[in-house]
Amino acid sequence: MKNEKLNIKIRPLGFLDLLAFKKLIPTREKMIACAPATPVDAIPPVNILAGRLHPETQYLEVSEVTQDTPSARTIRLITDKASATKELAMFRPGQYLSFSFEIEDASVTRPYSISSSPAEALKGFYEVTIKKNEGGFVTNYIWENWKLGTKVICSGPQGHFYYDALRDSRKIVGIAGGCGITPFRSMAKSVLDGSLDVELTIFYGSNIINDVIYQKELKHFEEASNGRIKVINVLAGEDAGDCERGFITAELIKKYVDPAECSFFICGPQAMYDFVGKELGTLDIRSKFIRWELFGEIKNVSSTNGFPQNMAGRSFNMTVHMGSTVNVIPALSGESLLVAMERAKLSPPSICRSGVCGYCRSLLVKGDVFIPESGDGRRQADKQFGYIHPCSSFPVSDLEIIVPRKR
Amino acid sequence: MASNSFQGEFDAVVIGAGNGGLTAAATLAGKGMKTLLLEQHNLPGGFATSFVRGRFEFEPSLHEISDFGPFEDKGNVRKLLEDRIGLDLEWIRVPEAYRLIIPNEIDGRLDAVMPFGIEEFISKLEGYVPGSRPSVTRFIDLCTEVVNALGYIADSKGNADKKILMDRYSNFLKTAPYSLQDVLDSLKMPYRAQKIVTAYWCYIGQGVDDMSFTIFGAMFQRYLTKAAYLPKYRSHGYSSALDIKIRELGGEIQYNTNVEKILVENGKVVGVETSSGDKIKTNYVVSNASPHIVYNQLIHPKTEVPAVAYKTCNARKVGFSAFVVYLGLDKSPEELGINEYSYFIYSTPDTNDIYKGFNTLARPIGQAAVCLNNAIPDCSPAGTAILSITTLFSGDCWAGVEPKDYFNVKNRITEEVIDEFEKALGIKIRDSIEEIEAATPATFANYTRAFNGSIYGYEPVPWDSILPRLMCLNDEKYIKGLEFAGGFAVRCHGYSSSLQSGELAGLLSYKSFKEAKSI
Repeated sequence: MKNEKLNIKIRPLGFLDLLAFKKLIPTREKMIACAPATPVDAIPPVNILAGRLHPETQYLEVSEVTQDTPSARTIRLITDKASATKELAMFRPGQYLSFSFEIEDASVTRPYSISSSPAEALKGFYEVTIKKNEGGFVTNYIWENWKLGTKVICSGPQGHFYYDALRDSRKIVGIAGGCGITPFRSMAKSVLDGSLDVELTIFYGSNIINDVIYQKELKHFEEASNGRIKVINVLAGEDAGDCERGFITAELIKKYVDPAECSFFICGPQAMYDFVGKELGTLDIRSKFIRWELFGEIKNVSSTNGFPQNMAGRSFNMTVHMGSTVNVIPALSGESLLVAMERAKLSPPSICRSGVCGYCRSLLVKGDVFIPESGDGRRQADKQFGYIHPCSSFPVSDLEIIVPRKR
Repeated sequence: MASNSFQGEFDAVVIGAGNGGLTAAATLAGKGMKTLLLEQHNLPGGFATSFVRGRFEFEPSLHEISDFGPFEDKGNVRKLLEDRIGLDLEWIRVPEAYRLIIPNEIDGRLDAVMPFGIEEFISKLEGYVPGSRPSVTRFIDLCTEVVNALGYIADSKGNADKKILMDRYSNFLKTAPYSLQDVLDSLKMPYRAQKIVTAYWCYIGQGVDDMSFTIFGAMFQRYLTKAAYLPKYRSHGYSSALDIKIRELGGEIQYNTNVEKILVENGKVVGVETSSGDKIKTNYVVSNASPHIVYNQLIHPKTEVPAVAYKTCNARKVGFSAFVVYLGLDKSPEELGINEYSYFIYSTPDTNDIYKGFNTLARPIGQAAVCLNNAIPDCSPAGTAILSITTLFSGDCWAGVEPKDYFNVKNRITEEVIDEFEKALGIKIRDSIEEIEAATPATFANYTRAFNGSIYGYEPVPWDSILPRLMCLNDEKYIKGLEFAGGFAVRCHGYSSSLQSGELAGLLSYKSFKEAKSI
């Protein structure tokens, strides 16, 4: 049986098959000869759709500036009519944009959540709400420079801090601190216009009532929502009106919702994450129901768990290969490699600045870095091969890295 | 222009760091050529990559690599990556070939778990379909002849002896013009056995009536004899290992660098220009970007594109794109009732109906799912599981989707795909979703810039399958110094083909380079 020679016939007479084989190449030649000799100039539909959904760069212009509180402004952005940007890319409530700045010859980026709704993007504008930080390099720049008509450059929508009907509970608890209220404004607007089918309870922590961004607007959302939106202001520094006094504790959360049936979305400063993390920890919630927005660069890295204390306050030499160039620049142990490169005016790529998106991924050729666990969003193989995310890597020796150019 | 751009000369430039581009660059650099690999994305791999969401690192497109084999009995891909390029990575054998579920098959539900190994496969199939042994044995013998014949042709480097082919591989020649279904019919294989044998069809992305038998037969035989393997740390693991290897071999890699022009003079490659202002002199380009992109968008000036190059593009059909749902689940596979690694679930029996279904945005009726933990138990934290479910779409059926409707379409299809999986297995997974992501054709187009988001190359119909492509290798070189690698190249698509095609393109470029030098 095994040795019996296989003799396949597709057609009743085997020699016809061989004839068909002999025709294989002539058939091919004929197929090619018959095809039109016209170039396919049009960009295929999926590539067009991809470009509309994920534009590399959006060229915008400031169309309105609203002072929300003494330290917070909402900036409305429309397309820069003189540019290649003809429409605003669609997004999901909770996503952010990465803005690019040229400040004192240095190229830097900052991520800001979109505080307006997708429906408003269709009408032609995005809004971002920016809080002025004491000594904040970029927020000060925005404060002084973003006026009516200012041209602004940003990325397409980014990030994963959004509701998913298959994953999340329909009862959403938003926990916000300071400027972390912005993504929840976008969500609340979408609940109101009917595009986001959830019940939204927002716990919003501020110091004093005058720090509360969108105070009247959120109240108005609540009233117009038919019970679908509830906002609880929590003030640490004073008693005011119907606000809660203190911090967003597990007790306070339980006073308003049943934690067992909710999805929690948290957005705010680093200190709030530490506090809220502990409080939620006492509520025994499955991790699928807790979602943290990225909080940007790690500050005070030397107080992070595992940071080698003898390295605090040190300065190192960093050799940076970028494109055809090699530069040796200073790098401080308390600042990320990304910031060191920006200070040296090298224009490194970046988007999330939180160690997660991987856009700044670079090869560490020599030397050592400290990477806080909370900011280590690397792929497993990257850890194996010495690839790092400069936005969440801190130098602890002289080092050499290969960094991709910006696109 | 940016001051960090390249203005120099390279022996060879590789466009695109996908599977084919990576092995091409490693091959060229390994031969001592001064090689520059340019990639528009910020990562190597193209489709062979990974992404992280929360506690999970997902594999975006790879289900398994065929023709890999165990260390003691290496297949062609393992020989390439380990012996010739020198990678030293951990690879894991996939536990079974597949579980095929066709709930509404003629004569009732078909549900079969098939093993690797020729004898194991035939025996198991005889258990499911008594009386199938003789025809299935003949089918596999025929597939083995296909593999041997292709090996002979590859070794002969385009100079195969017709007499040897006729003497030793006549069945291979006779079946080459036919489709998979033609061959199955001629063998009188029982219907249900045919369905089980052809389960892999969707990996080629074509219905069995149109698919070249040669391409299926070769793939199927390699699966049975060499099993299938996975890189321990997702495709990004070996893509990154190739990146490091290329650098070790003296190659240069630039990410975020989009090639805008391939400069051609008098029918010969003379250079490359990029979005970063690089102006590079070179006489050898290996393109991992498809001929569709190269001839329609990159060759400069356009007058250097011969009419026959456009004709060759237009005679072919660009393959499907994909829609993949990625789930990070907060229960273990056992708790969920997911016991196999690889599933093919076809909601309707006729592959041609499913193929047609891939051309509409209606509810998907065919899917291939993999549960990574059933091959790599520690790929996610204890008590969790990674499941990805893939269905196919033609790029064109997404043409009418407006960005404002995009998320709704995406969410709707995601839910349908999960629903089909749950129904076929009779389990519930949606309550356990901790992370969820879906990649649409637009997602793939965004990351890879593939033409119309295609995850495949040109459809391997009989006249454009691996055999005719190999036979015409020398006649279809339209621009001197330009070779193609990847799924659109001569070996047709799929991970193992793409990886091998890169080496072939690298070797062909090196051969021309050396010949030119010796003149």
